[in-house]
Amino acid sequence: MTMTTPEGAVLTVDEAPGEDFRPGSVGLVGRGFVWVGLGVALLLPMLTVDFAQACSLAAIYAIVGLSLNIVVGYTGQLSLGHQGFLGLGALTAANIVFKLKVPFYIGIVGGIAAATVAAVVLGLVALRITGLYLSLITLVFGTAIASSLFSLGSLTRNGSGVPANRPDAVSTNARYYLLCLLVMLVIFYLDTRLTASKTGRALLAIKENERVAEAFGIGVTSYKLLAFGLSGAIAGLAGGLFAFRSQTYAAQDFTETGLSLALLFVVMVVVGGLGNRVGVVIAAAFFALLNYLLDKLFISWHAFRHLVEHVPVLNGYYGPNKGALAGLIGAVLLLQTLIFNPGGIGESVAPIQRWLKGKRFSLHDDSASAGPGAVEGSSVRA
Amino acid sequence: MSVLEVRDLSIRFGGLQALQDVSLDVNEFEIVGLIGPNGAGKTTAFNCITGFYKPGTGRVTYRGRDVTQVPPHKKAAMGFGRTFQNVGMVKTSTVLENLKTAQHARIGYDVSAGLIGAPAVGREERELADKADAILELLGLEDVRNLRVGGLSYGTLKLLELGCALATEPDILLLDEPSSGMGPDEAHQLGERLIDLRQAFGLTMLLIEHHVPLVLSVCDHVYVLNFGRLLAEGPPSVIQTHPEVVAAYLGGEAPEALDATEETDEDAALDAQLGHHEVTPDDAPTEVIESPPAEPKPRRTAAKSTTRPRGKTAAESREEKAAAAKKGAKR
Repeated sequence: MTMTTPEGAVLTVDEAPGEDFRPGSVGLVGRGFVWVGLGVALLLPMLTVDFAQACSLAAIYAIVGLSLNIVVGYTGQLSLGHQGFLGLGALTAANIVFKLKVPFYIGIVGGIAAATVAAVVLGLVALRITGLYLSLITLVFGTAIASSLFSLGSLTRNGSGVPANRPDAVSTNARYYLLCLLVMLVIFYLDTRLTASKTGRALLAIKENERVAEAFGIGVTSYKLLAFGLSGAIAGLAGGLFAFRSQTYAAQDFTETGLSLALLFVVMVVVGGLGNRVGVVIAAAFFALLNYLLDKLFISWHAFRHLVEHVPVLNGYYGPNKGALAGLIGAVLLLQTLIFNPGGIGESVAPIQRWLKGKRFSLHDDSASAGPGAVEGSSVRA
Repeated sequence: MSVLEVRDLSIRFGGLQALQDVSLDVNEFEIVGLIGPNGAGKTTAFNCITGFYKPGTGRVTYRGRDVTQVPPHKKAAMGFGRTFQNVGMVKTSTVLENLKTAQHARIGYDVSAGLIGAPAVGREERELADKADAILELLGLEDVRNLRVGGLSYGTLKLLELGCALATEPDILLLDEPSSGMGPDEAHQLGERLIDLRQAFGLTMLLIEHHVPLVLSVCDHVYVLNFGRLLAEGPPSVIQTHPEVVAAYLGGEAPEALDATEETDEDAALDAQLGHHEVTPDDAPTEVIESPPAEPKPRRTAAKSTTRPRGKTAAESREEKAAAAKKGAKR
C-alpha cells in the first residue's frame, strides 16, 4: 500500500504478513475450487452402496471423535469408556423404536438421553478423581456396562439382535450416509461455537489449572459435569446412528470389541490432535475407513496381497483376527504422532485450513506468533 | 466498614499449624501489605481468604457477609480478584483469550446460547475483547495481545496476571508477590501502577510482597506474619523498624540492617527533602504503633487518607500487640 506523508513524500509500506490480507482473484478462484472440491468429495460416496455404508461409519466415528475430544482434548480428562456411551445410545435407540414403535428420531433422542445420564453419573465420579484413576474408572464403566446391560437377554432379543429399521426417508445407504454427514457437520458447527464461547475457554482453563479457573470465577464442578454430559450426549447420538446404520443392534459390536473400540477412539483423538476438531474428524474418518480400504487393497492389488501373506508380522491378517493390520497401522501412527508430531493431523493441515479461510499460505500461524498489526481485528478497532 | 475482615483464622496441615489465630482488616481503598519470611503462611492466608482452603477455625467476612465457606469461583464472582505466586494463567492460550477467560463471571449469555451461537454471544464476545484491549492498553501491553502466554517473559507474565485479575472486575484485589521477577526499577513502577489502579478502579488491595521498598511506598498498613502467627501490624514506617520484624527477617540482626539494605537511595532522598526524621530503633514508637509519624510518604496523600477508623476488637488486639512489641523491645 502507499500513503503520502504531510511533506509530500510517498511511502511504500510492505504489507505485514497477514495484515488485512485479501486473496487476489486467482487466489479466490483457487480457494473456491478447493472448497467445492471438498464438498463434492464428501458427496461422492453417495454414488456407491458399500462405500456409502463405510463412509456412514466414518461420519459416526467422527461424531464420536468430536465427543471424546470435548472430554479429553478440551477438558483434559482421559476417558476410556466412550464405547459405553456409544453402545448405550445404540441399545436405547434400537429398543425404543423396535418395542414402542415410535419414530426413528424419537429413538435417537432416547439414545442421547440415556447416554447423557450415564455420562453425568460418570462425571460425578470424575469430580472426585483425576488422571490415571479416572481413566481406570471410565474403563471399568465401559467394560461393566458392556458385560451387563449390553448383553441382557431382554434388550438384545436373547442375543439375536434388535432390528433397527431405518425410516423411508433415509432407507438407502446413500441417504443414510447423507444424514450421518449432516449430523456430523452440525456437531462440528456446535463444537466451533463451543470453543468460541465462554464454555470452551472455561474447559481449557480447567484442563490447564483448576485453581486458576476458579480464581477466574469458573465453577470447575459444573463445567466438568457439563463437559461429560455434552460428550455423552454426542456419543449417544452417534450410537443411535450406529444402530440404524447396521440396521440391527448387536451386542457383540460393543462387547467383543469393547476395549479395542475404546482405545481406537482415544487413538483417533490423539492422532488427530488433542483439542483440534479438524484433525480429529480426519483421523476418525481414516480409522473408520481403514478396514474397508485394506479389504479393497487386498482384493484388487496383488503386490499388497503378496506382502500381507508372506511377511510374518502381517500374515495374521485375513485370518481369524482380521483387524490386526489396522491395529498395527494405528499403533505405528500413534507412536509417530507422539514422537514426531504431537500436534497431530490437525496441526499438519492447519496451514491448508488457514489458506482456505482466505489467509496467506504460510506454515506458521501469523496471528499467534507475530507482533501487533499482524492481527485480525486489531486494526479495525483502533 | 471494612471490606475484608478476617478473624482468628487457623488452619493445620497434618502436624503443621500453618496459621494460628490470624486476624486482619482491609478497609475501603486501602492497600494492605502482608509480609513475612518464607513459610510464614502468607499464601496459606490468601488461600483461606479466597476459599481455596477451608480454614479449621476462624471467620472471613466480606462487606459484612460471612464468606468463610464460599467456594473460590463464587468469591471471584463476588469481587475477589487474585493472582498467584507462580503466575496463574492459561499458558497454551493467547493473552487475549486469557483476558476473556478471566471475565468469565461477568458474562451474561448462558452455555446453551454460546453453543448455538446466538447473536447476543457475538455482541458480548466483542465487548469482552474490547475490555481486554482496554486493560492491555492500561498496562502498556498491547504488543503481546495475540501471543501465547507460554512464551512470554516472567515480568510480563506477572503484569499480565495483574491484568487478568483486573479483568475479573474485582472489588478487592489479592496479589501474591506481584513484584517477583522484577528489578528494583520495575518494582517501583509497579508500585505507582498499583496506586493508579486503585484510583482508577476504586480498588481495595491486599498484597503479599517481599520487596520491602514497594511495601513501604504503597501500603497504608502492614501485617507481619511469622510461623503462622501475626507478629506485628502497623503503618509501614513503623513496621520497618519494628525490632521483632527485623529480627524475624534477619534472624536477630541489628534493626538498622533492614533500613540499610532495603531502603533505596531515592526513598532516603525523599525523606531528606521532606525533613522526615528517620526513625531509629532507639526512638521507635513501640508504645502506640497506631499513630505513624506525620505523613511518611507524599504519594499517599494523593490517594486517600490513611486514618484507619477501626473496630473495637481490632483496636484491642492492636493494643495487645503493642504491649507484646514493647516486651520484645525491652528484651
